[in-house]
Amino acid sequence: MFQKDTLVKIVGEKNVTDESSTLDTYSKDLSFVNTLRPDFVIKPKNANEIAQLVKLANETKTPLVPVSSGAQHFRGDTVPGSGGAVVLDLSGMKKIMRTDRYHRVAMCEPGVTFEELIPAVEKEGIRLNLPLLPRKSKSVVGSLLEREPVTMPTYQWDISDPLACLGLIVGTGEEFRTGQAAGPGTIEEQWEAGAVQKAPYGPGSTCWHRLFQGAQGTMGIATWASIRCEILPTLEEPFLVGSPYVERLFELSHWLIRLRLVNECFILNNTNLAAIMAKNWPCDYQAIKHALPPWILFYNLAGYEYYPEERVSYRKKNIQSLTQKIAVESTKALAGISAGELLQKVHRPSEEPYWKLRYKGASHDIFFLSIADKLPGLLDAMNIEANKASYPASDIGVYIQPGVQGSSYHCEFNIFYDPQSPSEINQVSQLSTAATLSLMDKGAFFSRPYGKSTDAIMNRDAATVTALTKVKNIFDPNNILNPGKLCF
Amino acid sequence: MSIKDYRGDVEKCCRCSCCKFIPLQKVKGSKYSYACPSIAKYNFNAYSGGGRLLSMYSMLKGEMDYSEKLKEITYNCNMCGACGVSCNYAMDMQVNEPISEFRVESVKDGQTHPALEKVIEGLRKTNSMVPVKGKRGDWAAGLNLKNAAQEQVDVLFHVGCKTSFDPKMHKLAQATAKILQKAGVNFGIAGDVEVCCGGRAYQMGYEEDARSQAKKNMALIKKAGVKTVVTGCADGYQAFKVLYDKFGVKGDLEVLHISEYIDMLMKEGKLKLTQKVNMTVTYHDPCNLGRKGESYKHWKGVRKPGNRFMFDPPKDYRRGEHGVYQPPRDVLASIPGLTLSEMTRIKEYAWCCGSGGGVSESNPEFAMWTGKERIEEALSTGAEAIVTTCPWCEKNFKEAIMASGSKLKVYDIVELVEKAI
Amino acid sequence: MFLSPEVYKKFEDIVGEENICGDLAIMPSYHSGQIGAVVLPKDTEQVQAIVKLCNRLNIQFTVMSTGFIRAAMPQGCIYLDMRRMNKIIEINEKDMYAVVEPYVTSAELQAELMKRGLNCSIKGSGAQCTAIIRGHGHMDLSTGGDDRNQLGMEWVTPAGDVLKLGALGSTHEWFCGDGPGPSLRGVISGRGSGDALAEGGVITKAAMKLYHWPGPAAFELEGQSPNYNLKEIPPNFMVRYYSFPSVPQMYEAELKIGESEIMFALMGFNVAMLSANISPNMEMELEVIEKLNKEVQGPGFYVIVAANSPEEFEYDQKVLDKIISDTGGKSLAMVEDPKVGALVLIHGVRISVSIRETFRLRPVGGKAYGFQIMGQRDVNIKWIDEAANRKKELIKKGLGADDGGVYFGWSVENSHLGKTEIFFDPSPHPESLDAIIDWQQTTARKALEDHLNPPTHLPLSVVGPEVSNYHIWSKKLDEAFNPNGTTVVLPSLMG
Repeated sequence: MFQKDTLVKIVGEKNVTDESSTLDTYSKDLSFVNTLRPDFVIKPKNANEIAQLVKLANETKTPLVPVSSGAQHFRGDTVPGSGGAVVLDLSGMKKIMRTDRYHRVAMCEPGVTFEELIPAVEKEGIRLNLPLLPRKSKSVVGSLLEREPVTMPTYQWDISDPLACLGLIVGTGEEFRTGQAAGPGTIEEQWEAGAVQKAPYGPGSTCWHRLFQGAQGTMGIATWASIRCEILPTLEEPFLVGSPYVERLFELSHWLIRLRLVNECFILNNTNLAAIMAKNWPCDYQAIKHALPPWILFYNLAGYEYYPEERVSYRKKNIQSLTQKIAVESTKALAGISAGELLQKVHRPSEEPYWKLRYKGASHDIFFLSIADKLPGLLDAMNIEANKASYPASDIGVYIQPGVQGSSYHCEFNIFYDPQSPSEINQVSQLSTAATLSLMDKGAFFSRPYGKSTDAIMNRDAATVTALTKVKNIFDPNNILNPGKLCF
Repeated sequence: MSIKDYRGDVEKCCRCSCCKFIPLQKVKGSKYSYACPSIAKYNFNAYSGGGRLLSMYSMLKGEMDYSEKLKEITYNCNMCGACGVSCNYAMDMQVNEPISEFRVESVKDGQTHPALEKVIEGLRKTNSMVPVKGKRGDWAAGLNLKNAAQEQVDVLFHVGCKTSFDPKMHKLAQATAKILQKAGVNFGIAGDVEVCCGGRAYQMGYEEDARSQAKKNMALIKKAGVKTVVTGCADGYQAFKVLYDKFGVKGDLEVLHISEYIDMLMKEGKLKLTQKVNMTVTYHDPCNLGRKGESYKHWKGVRKPGNRFMFDPPKDYRRGEHGVYQPPRDVLASIPGLTLSEMTRIKEYAWCCGSGGGVSESNPEFAMWTGKERIEEALSTGAEAIVTTCPWCEKNFKEAIMASGSKLKVYDIVELVEKAI
Repeated sequence: MFLSPEVYKKFEDIVGEENICGDLAIMPSYHSGQIGAVVLPKDTEQVQAIVKLCNRLNIQFTVMSTGFIRAAMPQGCIYLDMRRMNKIIEINEKDMYAVVEPYVTSAELQAELMKRGLNCSIKGSGAQCTAIIRGHGHMDLSTGGDDRNQLGMEWVTPAGDVLKLGALGSTHEWFCGDGPGPSLRGVISGRGSGDALAEGGVITKAAMKLYHWPGPAAFELEGQSPNYNLKEIPPNFMVRYYSFPSVPQMYEAELKIGESEIMFALMGFNVAMLSANISPNMEMELEVIEKLNKEVQGPGFYVIVAANSPEEFEYDQKVLDKIISDTGGKSLAMVEDPKVGALVLIHGVRISVSIRETFRLRPVGGKAYGFQIMGQRDVNIKWIDEAANRKKELIKKGLGADDGGVYFGWSVENSHLGKTEIFFDPSPHPESLDAIIDWQQTTARKALEDHLNPPTHLPLSVVGPEVSNYHIWSKKLDEAFNPNGTTVVLPSLMG
């Protein structure tokens, strides 16, 4: 147990809360995990304060739950998994430490949101490889730590991209920096020497950042992250390709990425594209959804410093021969939806309300990784489970994001429901559990397990659990960091 | 020479493993990428070209001495020279020479293999590398060929031990004689006075015996007054052309393999191949006609001062570039109806037939294994026959085919030419 | 023999009589006479059994596949030679990955891939090395490098557990090596410690990311070794070498080429290495160096354009011309000769003459003094440029072999990252070796003091405290995954 006085000494009075209304907001989210109220919510301002808090937590065996993004939360990872927990809300750590065109890198603290970082880097002439329309309050560092898929797969060389380096307070309270940032020297000394925090590997032959990504705050607390950025295009030309045959769109996306012809590239079903594009609810939404073909591939061509028009032009020509071969058609607009308008949206976080909440007020997301040959079967499996649960399959939003330069696909089902309706909550919760099991049986890889299905996912790979536990024991020997999450 | 003279070469080995594979530019996939039968069969690094150099290095440094295992490793090498070609694609250092010299030194130091000892004893007694059945010249009975020891001829056809004493191989010599007659060549044979070339003895490490054979052969040639020797056997070709030159006894003798000579005769218009031989074949380059058949390069000089392994005058390394590769192919291409379908490993990076280096005598199982690998590769081309230009290859292939139950046929190139004239 | 007959028999029971050898006669061909036995496992089960037995008997083990360079070994250790694990298990064209065992070489894999219009990252140590080694190579600009090409992996841990990383652990699919949860790819090193090595343990299979290959299914070569060459450069391919008036101008061009995403390969060879690449022997190499030195205006690099269409080719060339003109680059006439360009092309794609480029002029196999630094290219160039100046001073005094004081390097992942290397060979001067070791130490200390990178050649106890105490965390990882200390990580081995 923490004593409030001690906490106040570390972070100051206004940054410690034990008001029940505040605690309540951190006790639950839109996932189906059990509600559990933390004892305190603390808002540290810097790494030093975090280190002190972690050391204190070790002494008092107090669970710490790091939270970076603002509400709404969706996946249960920020809801305490054990009693007596203290939430470390890092959303106030808002420094953008570096935006650097020459080295194509940015660096910020965990409280910095996409809404804040996007314009800051664009001012420098660079851009982030963004996830698909994150909510405005989403922490950039949080997104990187979650290995959130990104919309420009050709720029994702490794699944850990675009994360470069991490500054961390690990579970022992010690500071650790990953990759090039590790040293020698402080970050400031490195800057002075002309060094930036760009190379992700090391120090030594270990790739430490991989151990903290996907850990849901169980290994260490990030105090900053550096992010590989790409150059801001001087010209862009987006396209939509609609088809009732999703396999054709997989084929097209494969070649677009393989030949590195496009920047943004992803596939949505009509439900999700309508959810993103509808302006007037609910009439627009239904109209758009019904007017659209079942599947839509979005891709975007870009030109940079040199002869941008010519770059876009030859790519258009090359893509035309691909689309002809695959028997699909690229268009600037589809059922009244303009590719340009979608591009504008894709460059920014979602407008409020968050696009996943617009239809019914809540969305439960089931997401996993797979490969082209398996995806059609997995889409069918989801439909079967939806039918079994009497949930209209056509109401499920689907987002398919090719990743890591075309070597895998992130597939996400967005199951919309009314958060005020106990029956819908029950229906979707049961559907989620059943669908996760069914999808796993058909080869879906749940690389980022969250919420109630976590155990079922982790239990399939006992050797990994054993190995992860070893790593956990090194960085967080007293299991004070977000206990109850993943396999810890 | 002794292995001490190769210290600079062996210490230059960086254990990169290139010697285990065919030259990297020629790798066409996961199959048929290996160059060296010895490491391919026995897997431990000591069996590779580089491994052999590193073992020598250890001995030169006094860290290792002869042992039974080392002897076993030493003799389980076909002496095919493939490792050297692959190394010399990128490196300037001698590989095959120190490996060969190590054999020689092993023999000198009494580290011999009983099976090879027996063969050499036979050689010393009978001038033959194979058991003597009948007389050397029996194959020529009734062909009315000139005896070069008694009559003036332009060309001496050196038949070789295997063809002479293995009745199944007589047809090769007979075909050769027929071809030469057809082309109107004034040639002769040495008949019963022909002696072993000594090439295989040298491969086995018996340098003195090889030198002795070289002397005998050169004396015979001098006496006969011939300027040109044609061999039907790749080992013989390598011995006369390369080894005798290395021994300093070759003089200005012109040495031609029968495949080269046929090619020459055809190009001179003296031989025409007119009969159809409807067949798809693949061609196996014998090591001693191919990469090891490249001319010997005499060098005398010193290592340059400095830290580079360079010499004054520069050493012109034998990299297998100038072996006899095209003439047999041109001959095959001239046979009407015949189609050549190449294997993956050809020319300077051809996989050995398995019979070299005394292996067929010291470890027939290894020789057979190596041969089977080649037969499998030959079959992969879709060919119905494998053509070679050496009786030792032919023998090993036939045994490998019999053991593996394959239907692939084996021909010497002269058999096909005979069919085509 | 270092092992007792009883212990030897236990290992023999796992792999069979033919696949174990404890005879001292084979040891120098590995590393030293200290090895207890070399074993040749044929599959993961055998590897696991060997590793478990080592743990039970408290015997150290190490592992190597294709191998490179010799090093000392602990007395009596078990040496896993992965030669028999040489299968390409799967090539997935749609998802662009290949699953291979550790003894599949990059040459074998690339040859299979080219037939399918695909390519893989090949490390600078050469295509004869295992395809799963970490490291960097000549095509890194477009294929990336280091561990960033590894996907699913099967790892026998130092304690003998089989860990299937990522998707493999729960779905038997190889496309992803990360999760569920944190990625254990982080604890597998394999760099600087040889191919199949983890931070201990043995990688028994790995999936590698693949890339598009716009060239022919196989290079149609003419000539015999060592003079193989293409009949002609394939359509939409171009090879050039550009030299620049200064290092900053060279790097500016390199950066812009990366940023504009026009290039298949860029390799910052100095003149000596370019010459090695195209010369079949040392004498010619030295002659060519002399010729090229007269022609170049300063540091440079070669580039290979490999476009997917004629339109792309035209665009790539146009951008390249503009960048070169803006940065004061000058094309080497010699490489504009299609025959020479073709050589650079085939050697740059298959990485078939690394040994020439790095070792041919060296007297002792594999021994090299110097630095190989990955990461931020601009700061590492600056640091190595200074090291090169100190190297030149020593050369002037006769204390090092005169190679003109050169270094080399290249950009990685469209110039986001890079690799920079410098070598320095001793001269016959009696004090040369000491001078070079001192140069190494000085250069390493500069990296540390100037906050540039964690240098090699200094004790970990000196470097670690300056670099997030990573030596302490590494030790903890080692204790966790290598609890009995049975795995020995071989130093400075490649492939």
